Amino acid sequence: MPIMRTLGPGSLSSFMKAVLDVVWGLLLVVLAILGASLLYGVLAAFNPAMPFARLVLFEGLDPLQAWAVVLARLGTAVLFVGGVLTIVSSLRKIFATLKAGDPFHPDNVTRLRVVAVGLAWLELVRYAVWTLGALLPPQAAPDRPNLSLTAWFSILVVVVLAEVFREGARLRRESELTI
Amino acid sequence: MPVRLHLDRLLVQRRMSLAELADRTGVSAANLAILKAGDARALRFSTLDALCRELACQPADLLTWEP
Repeated sequence: MPIMRTLGPGSLSSFMKAVLDVVWGLLLVVLAILGASLLYGVLAAFNPAMPFARLVLFEGLDPLQAWAVVLARLGTAVLFVGGVLTIVSSLRKIFATLKAGDPFHPDNVTRLRVVAVGLAWLELVRYAVWTLGALLPPQAAPDRPNLSLTAWFSILVVVVLAEVFREGARLRRESELTI
Repeated sequence: MPVRLHLDRLLVQRRMSLAELADRTGVSAANLAILKAGDARALRFSTLDALCRELACQPADLLTWEP
């Protein structure tokens, strides 16, 4: 069985880039839908005449309180999907360089740092949602999140990888001027 | 950098063009131009060997150190 190449055209990186392109497109659509829903929610919360304005999703909450809960969740979803989109966007660019057979492109250092910050952002959004959720009525409060050591370890790994790529880019620059 | 490569001087002395030296040594004209301009970060022994052979000189004729 032939072993699939990891770099260059027609390689595993090329396949991953195609998958990331599709995911990126889907995330854009999801973000647009969430953004539109958020906007509609803000308008509907203050205008009971609009369709679906009288939300009864949570027992014991009046429509305005229900909309506050829904808008908080939609806002969280926008922040979360925005974070994932930023990560996927950076990964797409990184995999484009891998597809081109140029892993130590100088820009990949910044892109990997963006991925690390994005992952940290997603974790912090989870904790922030739980903290702010304490302000919501008990029936609408989100579940308490676990402290994910795997997520924080992954963030540290990506930070270290960014430094490895920075060193790789430096060595590439050096080798380009070695004659 | 305090280490200087006197490729231009030796080319004049040998009445040789950069293209001709590139042809003889197998080092590309673009890389020789980088050497000549003093923009190179490092020089391989194989390149130095080829330059000394084709310019009929010693490494000390090509390289000097200026503090």
